[in-house]
Amino acid sequence: MRRNVILGLAPLLLPYCALFCAGLTLTLAQSMGLFLPLGPGEATLEYYQALTRDQGLGLSLRLSLFVAFFSAAGSVLGGTVLALALWRMPPGLRRVGVVSKIGLILPHVAVAFLVLLMLSQTGLVSSALFQLGLISTPEEFPNILHTGSGLGMILAFLLKGVPFALLLIGAVLFGFDIRLIQTARMLGAGPLRTFWSVTLPRLLPAMHSAFIILFLYAFGSFDIPFVLGESHPGMLSIRVFDIFFHRDLSQRPQAMAILTVMFVFAAVFAMLYNRFAAYMDAWRRKL
Amino acid sequence: MRVTFFLSLLFLALTAGCSDAPQEESVLQQDYASLEKAARGTEVRWHMWGGSAQINQWVDTYVAGEMKRLYDINVVRVPMDAPVFVNKLLTEKAANKNTGTMDLLWINGENFKNSMQAGVLFGPFTDRLPNFAAWYDPQKAAHDFGYPVDGFEAPYGRAQFVFEFDTARTATPPADMAELAEWIKANPGRFTYPQPPDFTGSAFLRQIFYATTGGHEQYMDGINPELYAKNAPQTFAWLSDIKPYLWQEGRTYPKDAAALDTLFARGEIDMGMSYHPAHAQMKILEKTYPDTVRTFVLAEGAIFNTHFTAIPFNAPNKAGAMVLANFLMSPEAQLSKFRPENWGDLHALEVQKLDVAQREAFDAVDLGEATLDAGTLSAVAVPEIPSEYLELLERDWDKFILGH
Repeated sequence: MRRNVILGLAPLLLPYCALFCAGLTLTLAQSMGLFLPLGPGEATLEYYQALTRDQGLGLSLRLSLFVAFFSAAGSVLGGTVLALALWRMPPGLRRVGVVSKIGLILPHVAVAFLVLLMLSQTGLVSSALFQLGLISTPEEFPNILHTGSGLGMILAFLLKGVPFALLLIGAVLFGFDIRLIQTARMLGAGPLRTFWSVTLPRLLPAMHSAFIILFLYAFGSFDIPFVLGESHPGMLSIRVFDIFFHRDLSQRPQAMAILTVMFVFAAVFAMLYNRFAAYMDAWRRKL
Repeated sequence: MRVTFFLSLLFLALTAGCSDAPQEESVLQQDYASLEKAARGTEVRWHMWGGSAQINQWVDTYVAGEMKRLYDINVVRVPMDAPVFVNKLLTEKAANKNTGTMDLLWINGENFKNSMQAGVLFGPFTDRLPNFAAWYDPQKAAHDFGYPVDGFEAPYGRAQFVFEFDTARTATPPADMAELAEWIKANPGRFTYPQPPDFTGSAFLRQIFYATTGGHEQYMDGINPELYAKNAPQTFAWLSDIKPYLWQEGRTYPKDAAALDTLFARGEIDMGMSYHPAHAQMKILEKTYPDTVRTFVLAEGAIFNTHFTAIPFNAPNKAGAMVLANFLMSPEAQLSKFRPENWGDLHALEVQKLDVAQREAFDAVDLGEATLDAGTLSAVAVPEIPSEYLELLERDWDKFILGH
C-alpha cells in the first residue's frame, strides 16, 4: 500500500527532489565553502560566524521581519473585515467583490511600480495635489516611500495581500452554514458574542493559513523590495542579490549562508506558528 | 536510508566527471584566413547586456547585416546581464559541460576577473586577429580594471565618466571637487549618486577616491593595503561631509543608474552622472531629458575604461566568435558605433594609426550638443583602479556611509 503511494507520487517527487533538494543541498554546501567555483574547497563555518558579526545584517533581518509581520497582519485583518462586509451584503451586491480580483491578477512587481508612480514625491498623487493648489511644492507631499521603515513596501504588500486574504477567508465564509448563527441568536447571543464564539472560530484556520503564507512570502520576496526598498537597511533578499551578483566571487558563500539562515528561519517559523495556532485553538475550546 | 541514498546520488551528479576532457586547441593554430573559411555559413550567439534599445538595434541591423554580407555568418544577439552569463559559465564548468551555448561575450571589469580566476574563458586569441595587430595599442588593452588581459579579451569600446546638469536649472556647473562640494551644500537635496556596488555609483566612488587622495598614479601597481588604509579615510570623510545635503538627506540612494536618471529627468535632483559620455545626448534624442541638458567633467579627472569581447571555454563556434570579435574591432565597425545616431560609444582603436580619410571620418562625427568633445574628455582621462581596491571601497562605503 505504502509502496504504491510512493510509486504513484514518483512523477512529482522525482523532479521535486532533483530541483528543489539539489538547489538546497548546493546552497548549503556552498555556504560552508564546498563546491565553489573558487577557493580552497574545505568545509568551514567561518561564513556563518561572519554573519553573526555583521551588524547591518541584524538591521536587515529586523526590517524584513517588520515588513513581513505588518503586511501579513494588515492583509489578514483587512481581508477579514472586507470578507465580513461582503458577506453581509445582499447577494446581488456581492458581485462588487469582483473588484478585489484586480489585486490578485496584477503581478507583485506591477503593484510595486503602481505604488512608486502614485506615491513618490514627484508621483501622480503629489502632482495632482500640486495642480489643484492643495500643496505649494511637490516637496510638501509627505515622504511616504523614504521613511526608512519600509512603509512603501508594506503598502504594496497590502495591495496584493488583502485580496488574497479576502479570497481565502471569503471562501470559508460563503460556505458557512447560516443556521449556526440563527441558532446562536435564538439562544440569546448578541451579535458580538455570535461573532466571537461562532463565526470567528470557523474563520481562524483560513486566517492562520493566509497569515503564514503572506508572512513567509513577504519575508523572502525580492520584487517589491527591489522597486520600493531603501538603501539602509536593505531587505535580506536584496542583500543576497547584491552579494551574489555584484560582489566578488569570494563572497558568494556569505550569500549562501544568508539564504540558508532564511530557509531555516522560514521552516522553523512555520512549525512554531502552527503549534501556536493549535495551542490557541485548544485553549479557546477549553473556555 | 533513502535520504542518504538521494544525497549521495546528488553529490555524485554534482561532482560527476571533474576531470578535464581534452580541449580542442586547433582553432588557435589556424591562421585567420582559414578561420574565416571555417566560420562561413555558421551562427554566432553573442551574449550581451540588452538594456539599451539603441545598442540592440545597432547590433541587430548593422553588425548582423555586415557579418552576413561579408562572412555569411548569422549573428544572434542574446540579451543577458554579464553577472548572469558568468554564473552560467561557472555552472557549466562545474558540470563539465564542454559544449556550451554562448560564442561571444561582452564583458569587462569584475566579471572578467571572476571568469579568469575560474578559468572559464578561451584564449589567448587576440594575437590571431588582424585588426588587433593593425589598429590597436596592445599596451592600452593590456589591463582590464588592473587585471592582466593576456590576450583573453578583444577591446571593443571605451567609456568615460561624466556628470550631467541642466543649463535651465544650473547656470555654471562645478569645475572641480571643491566647487562640487560647495554646490552640493548650497543646493541641499538636489544631488545623489547610485548606491555602490551599482556600476555607475561605484565609479563615482572611485572618482572621489582619486580626487581626495592625490590622483590615480599611486594605485596602478596593484593592491597596497597600507596605502589604502592611509588614504581611504579622506574619501569617506568627504562623502560623510556631503551626506546630509544629499537627496533624502543621504538616508537612501537610488538603486542603479536608471533610477538616478529618472530622478534627474523628473527634476527631483539637479545633477546626474553616467559612465557613457553620450548618454545625455541619447536621453535628449529619446525626449527623456530636456534639450538644455549638458555634461561636464571635474578638473581632477574622469575615469575611463575599455570594454571587451571574450570567448567562453566551451563556445561551440570559436572560429565564428573570433571573426565577429575581429569585425567589431575594424575601423568601419568602430566608426559606425561611434556615430551618436547608432550608439555614440567611444572607439577603442588608435586613430593615429588610421589613414587620412578614415581619420577624417572619425573627426567629422558630431557627438551632439550635450556631449563633450574628444579633446576635453581625453585631457582629463584617468585609468580605472585595480579591482581589489574597488572591492575594498565598496565594502567600506557600506560600513562608513550606509552604516552597515
